[in-house]
Amino acid sequence: MTGRANSIIPNSIIIVGGGASGVVLAAHLLKSPNPDLRVTLIEKRPHFGQGMAYSTLLSAHVLNVSAAGMSAYADDPGNFWRWLLERGLATSEQAPVYAPRSVYARYLKELLDELEARERDTGRLRLIREESLSISPTPSGVEVALANGTSVVAHLAVLATGHDEEPGAGQGHAIRMGSEADTPLAPEAPVLVLGTGLSMVDAFLSLEQRGHRGEITALSRRGLLPSPHRKGNPIKLDVADIPLGTQLSYFVGWFRDLIRENRKAGIDWRDVVDGLRPFNQKIWQNWPASAKRRFVEHTKAWWDIHRHRMAPEVYARVTDAVQTGRIRPVAGRVVAITVGEAFTVEVQSRHTKRLETLEAARIYDCTGIARDISTTSNSVVRSLVDRGLARPDPLRLGLDVTANCELIAGDGVVSAKILAVGPLTRGTFFEIDAIPDIRVQCARLSKRLLG
Amino acid sequence: MLTKKGKYGLKALVHLARLPAGQLAFVGDIASGNNIPKKFLDAILGELRNAGFVQSRKGKEGGYRLARPADEIRVGHVVRVLDGPLAPIPCASRTLYQRCEDCNEATCQVRHLMLEVRQAIAEVLDQRSLAEMRDIAIDELPLALKVQA
Repeated sequence: MTGRANSIIPNSIIIVGGGASGVVLAAHLLKSPNPDLRVTLIEKRPHFGQGMAYSTLLSAHVLNVSAAGMSAYADDPGNFWRWLLERGLATSEQAPVYAPRSVYARYLKELLDELEARERDTGRLRLIREESLSISPTPSGVEVALANGTSVVAHLAVLATGHDEEPGAGQGHAIRMGSEADTPLAPEAPVLVLGTGLSMVDAFLSLEQRGHRGEITALSRRGLLPSPHRKGNPIKLDVADIPLGTQLSYFVGWFRDLIRENRKAGIDWRDVVDGLRPFNQKIWQNWPASAKRRFVEHTKAWWDIHRHRMAPEVYARVTDAVQTGRIRPVAGRVVAITVGEAFTVEVQSRHTKRLETLEAARIYDCTGIARDISTTSNSVVRSLVDRGLARPDPLRLGLDVTANCELIAGDGVVSAKILAVGPLTRGTFFEIDAIPDIRVQCARLSKRLLG
Repeated sequence: MLTKKGKYGLKALVHLARLPAGQLAFVGDIASGNNIPKKFLDAILGELRNAGFVQSRKGKEGGYRLARPADEIRVGHVVRVLDGPLAPIPCASRTLYQRCEDCNEATCQVRHLMLEVRQAIAEVLDQRSLAEMRDIAIDELPLALKVQA
């Protein structure tokens, strides 16, 4: 034990998960001039920087945020846009550009390649392609056990494992698109998609690409489809303008009035929604627990379709598909599923309460990214929760963390050694799924850890 | 600028924060104990209830109490509900902007500075909880002023 403790280099940090969040965090940490810094990035997939979000090769799968907002660096918002221009992948007249996600994966890969080359002689960056199994605190730091039987030690570990790869519990026969269970389908086979948000849109685009022509029933509680982006300028707000810490209904009333006032002045609602974005985490953190719970249960579905929008060209395809009957959005819930040659699914309409029976050759889980963290398929996260080193946040959206990204153990004790960034911290940061938010979180954490 | 409404609201909340958790207070007692006109206080408490800071019960045994523990309610949150956006002068607000008749807001240096001042106001008021405000020891105040002077 003593030997290992002595071998720990000061300022050593392991990042568990080398997807987009992990790479963005590594890039911010390595801005520090500290020569003794040691950053170890561990990723189980063959490619760093892709994770789930950016591993799609489909050119129709474009970013849901325009290129101007996708820089990996918080203090250099134009970084990705310049990268696109420099490589001739976009021209300045085209803005706003919604680049394919595979192009964004290339951007992150090149960024990491450059860091690796730059740090080759300093030894400050180490990349490990291996699955992490668990994180354990040691007297002087942490130890991360890897699937190959070895382990890595450091002062502290940051979880950046992102979204869950498996469908949520209770989704029954639903599978994730692109998973092993996603075997070839007959072109005319009817398909049921659970969810009507951006993940459903991705699934539709994939099915189109594969030559599928059958009907796609898209089912969610409210059957709401996301809105399209439009060129605009977010309105300017200060924190002094925004009611914080009130009951949800009061806040929603204020926000509706704000949109109404702005529309009278000819300003699009998108500019109001986007103007609020810099304060979304603050608003969330100041709400009482009851407001958070009500928001997740009742308001989030409405918020999501206005806040998480799609590129105009994608919206045009989805709209056309809905009008021609290729996509059928349904507001309701699954009552029963019978497995035969195909699935026979009984669906109850939200509005009429009538039962409808439909046949589906395949059920895709596109219910989105928020789910109960305690049922996660990620072994590192689950083992932390099982051993009481971590706990779900009160709404079970992610892990319970402090505003400084430190894990809170089962007994309420704050960990100084195990931290988390990205979607895992949703319970505390709420909107922390997209690069514009994650990069700010990573910049703050780097500053706090390394000064 | 804290209005009378904002000041009365904060005084009423401090009054409620002094009571044992869950105990109700009569509007009349809060009003007379803090020199607040009762009708005005009725309106103020109604707004605080809509925003979720206080709860009320009707009837003979009725009254008001805090809806949440006093250390969870921030002073800045209350002031925004009662007085609107935090702002030292009416033109220094983005949502309820009131144009000054006698100047051009784009070139007015006073407004620019006041926009900065409101950030500072928010920082102070959003850090302080109702419990902290309640526990400010009055007898230490003159001493603190003397030290500053």
